[in-house]
Amino acid sequence: MAFTSDLDQITRAAAGDPAAVRALVNRYSPGVLSLATRMLADRAEAEDVTQETFLRAWKALPGWEPRAKFSTWLHRVALNLCYDRLRKRKESLPGELPDMADTRLAPHEALDQSQRVSAIEGAIGALPERQSAALTLCALQGHSQAEAADILEISVEAVESLLARARRTLRAQLLEGRTSP
Amino acid sequence: MTEDRLIELIEAWGADPSAFPEAERAAARSMLAAQPARFAAAIAEARALDSALARLPEILPSAALTERLVASAPRPKAATSGFRLPKFAPWAPASGFAALAAGLFMGVMVAPAASASSDTSEVESVIEHALGYDPAAFTEELGE
Repeated sequence: MAFTSDLDQITRAAAGDPAAVRALVNRYSPGVLSLATRMLADRAEAEDVTQETFLRAWKALPGWEPRAKFSTWLHRVALNLCYDRLRKRKESLPGELPDMADTRLAPHEALDQSQRVSAIEGAIGALPERQSAALTLCALQGHSQAEAADILEISVEAVESLLARARRTLRAQLLEGRTSP
Repeated sequence: MTEDRLIELIEAWGADPSAFPEAERAAARSMLAAQPARFAAAIAEARALDSALARLPEILPSAALTERLVASAPRPKAATSGFRLPKFAPWAPASGFAALAAGLFMGVMVAPAASASSDTSEVESVIEHALGYDPAAFTEELGE
């Protein structure tokens, strides 16, 4: 149902129908922005990625062929833009180790909610990029296994492997107060 | 479904079996129901992480970002009222040359006949009378 509705809105948005454009933005920009924010841990950069993703979408609309779900295509574009930015960050800091935030929580510490949120966000941001993407898509955004696999362009089994490693690291850092092997 | 496989599922997808791959969901539920104590520790760990992730605030676009995204979209096509020339038609230059040639040809053929017309003086006379102008009187005035 959503697929048909997407196609209808895509057709109308390609013709410049303002209501269809706004509907696509309202439906998909939160997911794209959320993915980019989790991946880049930088709101301004995430907004840039969101804008670039939608610019590419507008260009693609007139010739859109429903081979893939629009949502999957959009998230894949956003993800690749995030990978590009992360690669550039690494290139601009040659020889430096990535800045890994110490997100471990000491059991005796009574952290307030904002500190906990910061710790979790920091831990997700410190994950290897594909683990962070898999966790965001599945655990935070609720994409199905098949959708996440399509977006990441890997098998469902590979998604499961990324998720297991991501969760193991987070569990070690956040809940057990020790470093994951 | 083996015990090891169920532990893998819990570690990857979390404590809620509804998040497990569909093909393994029913078997996983059966095993969990049959041996709850065996998987209690794994479920508790997974649940703690699930609830930590669930506490993360939703990330929503600002109104300004939404408006920028909408503004970057394609513009509506202008309404076409009446005839509009196409921006480019490949036949346009050829038709222009054809019209020019036809115009020149017609001019060459018609010009001699028009200039040699014997009806010119008759037409002038009709116009002079219509205007109340008397050429003979005019000639006399000039003579005086």
